[in-house]
Amino acid sequence: MNYVPGTASLIDDIDKKHLVLLRDGRTLIGFLRSIDQFANLVFHQTVERIHVGKKFGDIPRGIFIVRGENVVLLGEIDVDKPCDTVLQQVSIEEILEEQRLQQQAKQETEKVKMQVLKDRGLSVPKADNLDEY
Amino acid sequence: MFRFQSLDDDCTLEEEDEGLTAAEEEIDQFNDDTFGAGAIDDDWQEEHKRLANLDERDGQGAGAGGGGGGGGGGGGGGGGMERKSDLGGTDDSSSSHLAISAGHHPFPSSLPSLNFSSSSSGLPPPDVEDRGGDGDLAESLARLILEADPAIAGVGATERPCPSLSATGSTLSTHHRFDQPRVLPQHSIPNPTHSHQPPHHPQHQLPPGPSTSGIPLGPPPTSMLSYQQQQHLLRRGSAPIAQMNSHSIWENNMGFGPVSVTPGLVTHMEDSPLISIIKEVGLPKLPPRVRNDEGLDFSERVPPPRSSSPVIGSPPVRAVPIGTPPKQPISHNLNHQNSPLCRSPFPPGVGPVLSQIQRAKLLNSQVAGFARGGPAPPLLPGGGVFRPFFGGPPPPHGHRMGPLPPHGPPNHTPPIRHNTTHLHPQHRRMLTQRMQSRGGDRGRTGGDRHSRDPYSNLMTQKEKEWVTKIQMMQLQSTDPYLDDYYYQNYYEKMEKRQERERDSSKKEHTTKLITPQVAKVEHTYRPVQFAGSLGKLTVSSVNNPRKMIDAVVTTRTDDEEKREKQVWNKRRQILYTVEKMYSLLLEVQDFEKRFVQAPEEDREALLEQHKTNTVQLCNSLREKEWDDRVSDEQCVMIMSVRKGKRLISRLLPFLPSPQATAIVMAIARNLPALAKKDKQDQVLCWLVEPLSTVIQSLSSSAITDLLQELQGSEGQLATVLHNKFGVTLLYLILSEGEKMQSSDPNCQLMDDNRWTELVFSVTRELLSVPSSSLSPPLVTPANLLSLFSRYVDRQRLELLQNKLQISSLSR
Repeated sequence: MNYVPGTASLIDDIDKKHLVLLRDGRTLIGFLRSIDQFANLVFHQTVERIHVGKKFGDIPRGIFIVRGENVVLLGEIDVDKPCDTVLQQVSIEEILEEQRLQQQAKQETEKVKMQVLKDRGLSVPKADNLDEY
Repeated sequence: MFRFQSLDDDCTLEEEDEGLTAAEEEIDQFNDDTFGAGAIDDDWQEEHKRLANLDERDGQGAGAGGGGGGGGGGGGGGGGMERKSDLGGTDDSSSSHLAISAGHHPFPSSLPSLNFSSSSSGLPPPDVEDRGGDGDLAESLARLILEADPAIAGVGATERPCPSLSATGSTLSTHHRFDQPRVLPQHSIPNPTHSHQPPHHPQHQLPPGPSTSGIPLGPPPTSMLSYQQQQHLLRRGSAPIAQMNSHSIWENNMGFGPVSVTPGLVTHMEDSPLISIIKEVGLPKLPPRVRNDEGLDFSERVPPPRSSSPVIGSPPVRAVPIGTPPKQPISHNLNHQNSPLCRSPFPPGVGPVLSQIQRAKLLNSQVAGFARGGPAPPLLPGGGVFRPFFGGPPPPHGHRMGPLPPHGPPNHTPPIRHNTTHLHPQHRRMLTQRMQSRGGDRGRTGGDRHSRDPYSNLMTQKEKEWVTKIQMMQLQSTDPYLDDYYYQNYYEKMEKRQERERDSSKKEHTTKLITPQVAKVEHTYRPVQFAGSLGKLTVSSVNNPRKMIDAVVTTRTDDEEKREKQVWNKRRQILYTVEKMYSLLLEVQDFEKRFVQAPEEDREALLEQHKTNTVQLCNSLREKEWDDRVSDEQCVMIMSVRKGKRLISRLLPFLPSPQATAIVMAIARNLPALAKKDKQDQVLCWLVEPLSTVIQSLSSSAITDLLQELQGSEGQLATVLHNKFGVTLLYLILSEGEKMQSSDPNCQLMDDNRWTELVFSVTRELLSVPSSSLSPPLVTPANLLSLFSRYVDRQRLELLQNKLQISSLSR
């Protein structure tokens, strides 16, 4: 029931389970409890889900307040829908380990790439100080 | 529910004492009424434990060990949040927490079993009697409401009875203000703004809000108490209707206006108990008009104190534009669905998760909503009210219930009336279609799920509406075609398409959308000023920033403006002409250099160009296209500008002789004017050199003419002599004439008497003019003496000599 017919509003999403992708790449899943005009979100029973390859792990986080500007996308999760996913849930330690390995591999490829570019006299600035987009 | 029974018990007890006058006992009686013997303990700690237990069970079900802990923590936080939201979303939850805990600690044990004194108050019995005709159901319901609301009102407040009844207006109002964020928040009833309040309050409602809510706990409970006392006393006389409770239910929304709520309310009870309740309590007063003063139309509700929005100075909403949120609460049914009271039974060990406060809040919102939807048939909403009580498991104590009014499936949502008047009719149609199709699917699945969620409705109705209102405000537009271009265009296209498809006979489809627009009202914030004081109070906000400079607008009449404009335009014109001429002149001047440097082939072209430029220059001196003569006016205009004088001086050498002569003539003719204009700049003297060149090339008749021009009208010579340049010019002319005469005895200078006469007049003038006013010339030609010696006698010559010598020496 849209409070504001003809527009999009988060009011209808209150108290429903949502998945939110943040700008830093994290994925949170939780019940959306409260919003405000900036689309700051209050999540309840939040779980941070880390995906590495085909595996994922959930870290329970409790209550999260997300500042609106950091949200990339937000979608409702249908709890009734049968979950036929190929993803395999693993423990937290394992998924963190996997994530670390993934990061490491990425860094190494990045390093190699930089070296190759340097050899050719090109340089790409590090994205440390840049915004993501 | 066990509470009902205890209420019944209370009723019997209260009838014992009637005429107690001691303030304490009155208060106690009141508390007794409110809390009852079986009041739920509002201790948050216990709440937390309960919630934690709940969550643990949930967590185990989910299968994550950590989840339980997190859930427990979340539950505790959630419980806290619940509490906070109950109290109207104060941002100082800590203070509210403290309030509650402080409020409760003195009575840790008393609250659950509040038998303060079994002395009754004078108030409830009459009520009970009044409603007696309707049956126990109504009674118990009313009791519940009575109990519920003052429970909220009394939370954290009733520590000790306040002896003083002197609740002054200030305490009253501070209480009110304080009360608001804490006590009864979630009403969708129109809330007249604080401007209802006693006038001694500052008009800025919101900023003091948080501050008042931060009032230390000591005074507020007292003030609340005293307020209640006062109300109690007020009520005593008018027994039947005006209850303390009724007031506290609506107090948020109706301010103190209807303090004496409605003594004239119809008290006879009819079919539905709900109606009886409504009639007792009174329908909320809708604001008579949109509140325009001081800002936004928040007449229906008070935004939570944390929203210190800059209402001051912001434009008032006068129309109902696109973005206007509906006045009525959108859906009460959300709450119904989520009402924990109608969920499937919890394990018996866990009591209802919602505390008494929350339940009462729900009740209020429901009651409020239905009271608002007055025109709607009372039975249906009546059914809704009953639902929370009867939708759940049958009350364990076999509470007496009247026959259930027939109502639809538990989660049936009565149609919501959205305010879609601002939308395009097409749009509206589409929306209703969409909603109908969606309503069927959702109703079935959603209800189940929500019924099991103990944390639902943490965000209260009021808060949802508040956010919606903010979002709607952003949609308000003074120019919909500018702000919502695509919406307007889309529906326009659709209209046109439909018109094309259907025949013109069908008039119904050609409904034009008249978009309501916010009137672009220019309104200013006038700062408050007290009579007789020297200053003005100013509150700055984003819409009304601080005034840095008190700028005063000077208005000029139309005529003056026109004249000024004309003057400026002319001057600009002159400057423009000068600039253009300058660029030409520079080209002409550079011609030689370029010519020398240019290769053979280009020289022709260059020469051509040069000629063109020169011609153009000459032309620009002409006033009109067809007039060959050099325009006096134009020259003078140009010369009125310093740069123009410079221009002329540089230009003269390049001009052909007749035009140069003409210019010199013009200068001589207008010398007084030029001299006057030149006073500031003193640049006429630049002209001396080129002028001398020109003069030397003049013929005798021209010289004579020139001298004549110089003398011009009566008194001109005097002015000329006054001016350095003039004197110089004069001398130059005379010297030239003399040269002519002396060099060529046959010259035509003496042919007519003009020259002689002119010289005579010059000498006369020279003699008569006082020495002080005689300007020293730039150049004193040597042959002046010989000139004068021709025309004047010895005596005068000597005088002249002295004078001129003096002048020349003094140079």
